[in-house]
Amino acid sequence: MTTYADIFSKKERVEDMEIYAGSGAVNEQLARYGVKFGIYKNNEFKEQLFPFDMIPRIIDKDEFTYLEKGLKQRVVALNCFINDIYGDKHIVRDGIIPEEFIYAGSGYLPQCDGIKPPKGIYAHIAGIDLVQAKDGDWYVLEDNLRIPSGASYPMIARMISRRSSPDLFTGKHVEDNRNYAAMLRRTMDHVNVGGHTVILTPGRYNAAYFEHSYLAEKTGAHLASGHELIVENDHLYFIDYSGRKERVGAVYRRISDEYLDPMTFRKDSVIGIPHIFDIYRKGNVALINAPGNGVADDKGIYYFVPKMVKYYLEEEPILQNAPTYLPYYKEDMKYVLENFDKLVLKDVAEAGGYGVVFGNKMTSEEKENFKTMLKNEPRRFIAQEVIDFLDIDIMEKHELLPRKADLRAFVLMGEEPMVWKSGLTRFSRNPDSFIVNSSQGGGFKDTWVLSQ
Amino acid sequence: MGIISVENTDRLYWLGRYTERVYTTIKVFESRFDSMIDIDDLEYEKFCESQDIPNIYKSKEDFVARYCFSLEDENSIISNLMRAYDNAIVLREEIGSESLSYIQLAVYAMNQASLGRSPLIGLQHVTDNIAAFWGMTDDDIEESSIRNMIRVGKLVERIDLYSRLKVFPERIRKETRRLTNRIDKSTMRYDHKRMAHVNYLVQLDDLPYETLTDEIEKLVGDEL
Ligand SMILES: Nc1ncnc2c1ncn2[C@@H]1O[C@H](COP(=O)(O)OP(=O)(O)OP(=O)(O)O)[C@@H](O)[C@H]1O
Ligand SMILES: [Mg+2]
Repeated sequence: MTTYADIFSKKERVEDMEIYAGSGAVNEQLARYGVKFGIYKNNEFKEQLFPFDMIPRIIDKDEFTYLEKGLKQRVVALNCFINDIYGDKHIVRDGIIPEEFIYAGSGYLPQCDGIKPPKGIYAHIAGIDLVQAKDGDWYVLEDNLRIPSGASYPMIARMISRRSSPDLFTGKHVEDNRNYAAMLRRTMDHVNVGGHTVILTPGRYNAAYFEHSYLAEKTGAHLASGHELIVENDHLYFIDYSGRKERVGAVYRRISDEYLDPMTFRKDSVIGIPHIFDIYRKGNVALINAPGNGVADDKGIYYFVPKMVKYYLEEEPILQNAPTYLPYYKEDMKYVLENFDKLVLKDVAEAGGYGVVFGNKMTSEEKENFKTMLKNEPRRFIAQEVIDFLDIDIMEKHELLPRKADLRAFVLMGEEPMVWKSGLTRFSRNPDSFIVNSSQGGGFKDTWVLSQ
Repeated sequence: MGIISVENTDRLYWLGRYTERVYTTIKVFESRFDSMIDIDDLEYEKFCESQDIPNIYKSKEDFVARYCFSLEDENSIISNLMRAYDNAIVLREEIGSESLSYIQLAVYAMNQASLGRSPLIGLQHVTDNIAAFWGMTDDDIEESSIRNMIRVGKLVERIDLYSRLKVFPERIRKETRRLTNRIDKSTMRYDHKRMAHVNYLVQLDDLPYETLTDEIEKLVGDEL
């Protein structure tokens, strides 16, 4: 396990980082390039800079090789699972996953039943959240297979920190991560059924708009909103300023399933494209990621991912889950009630760090209420052992302070699975918190994968 | 090369117009501000009149604070800059992150300028960044029709402002010649008859400024 302490001298660590951080150069650059995310506060849209900390997470070459293998294996198995669920459903028939975990969740979309997406790929872009425990073991906390976001931040942060602090990189053998756009382009081209590639955005008031526009620029794909695209004669077209219709063969859509097509999903969606789902079903356009993936990244289904690896690939899972309990099973319910204080509980329907609560942080009244809820709706929650994951230092007001940090790794399914040699490291700015989500005030770091 | 929607051609045009509006109104403000220092406290009243904006200001201090820096004043320089920003932020792919960053920097400079006590120094950073933005769009944008749409917006706005300010006919003629050369290269739709009329108007000995303003405003846009 390499930390920055191993590759930076003490002087570099304190004095240089301080100089770089203190010079304000990095923040100035981030502001200049508008590295922001949007949030709604009191119903008002605000753009906020995403706090960036210069000290990187560092991952050794060997360690990353292990992660890379495990991540590929996991995402390949997840793709098999989604194909199976919207196909013959062997995994349910063979009793590996109870039926109600599939159909009761909001992730399963009956409309997708029987669909084979282009090249059989459902999860083109997967964001796998990992943490590293104090003993060095890695655990997967969550799979994000719908619209995982965040890759643009380390991409641009790398560009900026190489400019502002070149000395930090000299002789350190860090894998270049600015190839993400090229990887993404390959992934999109692989499934494109003919025509342009567009990135579909809900618009500039979306939290991740910076990312949408930045990825469009860097991949050379065309950024579009729903009303610029139209389905005609079973194909998708972009209407340009002269009224000419340009065929579109792949849509990297950054809007969620329910808003994608008002004819199939939410009728009140004004950001989607009417009838796009029909032509997707016919194989006339690729949707990246495919609709219906929610069935596989549901917090309840997470429990079964290691079983999927064994079932579909007949391999031992390389990456482990955090020890997880499903109150749905009697013995797990018993365990959860008896060990409530040392567990973290998650509402399977929530995301973004909401609905994640730690047993030991609750008052006794809250605990009792929660336990009642748990007994009434056992399928709604999962419980996990709290992983005491590693801190990484951050620089704050001339001081190095340890903070909890997780890692979102990106796996792209092109002709073959590819793992981006970097990732988004998010940290909590609150010393007592494990919650790293940006919507909860967290910041981010670059992730360095060493090449030797 | 890429494809571009009607909406975005429109935005490019307005990006050109608003950047020009900010740039030129700052320049005009600079000259008026100078005489407000110790010559004529009420200079701003004439300014409002020439710009055809309501004089809602209580004093020269109030004028400087609100006309330059108040987002609540829809005619303020900062409001126009934010309109430029709103157009630019959704054009990253057309104009590129580098060009876009100068609009972002102009916004920071504007906010910074509002904090200081010498607005002209602060505003200079704003015009510097706009000038850099224009230079960058010329240098960096490969697609000439995109460059030209911004240019056309900029020239239309300039002629509009100059005729409101009743500047010397020769200056307006020069900008009109530039616009005439440029507009066909932009692939934008515009009213050809009006363009001819504008060319006729600017040649008149007694330049009819008001008619010119009306005509130039209707040259490009929805009314076609
Ligand atoms: N078992 C655990 N032990 C310690 N901390 C945890 C555990 N599970 C979750 N956390 C913390 O809570 C955060 C949110 O958890 P999780 O990823 O499950 O929720 P989420 O709502 O899906 O968030 P997102 O989708 O944005 O990643 C994690 O990033 C981590 O910081
Ligand atoms: Mg997560």
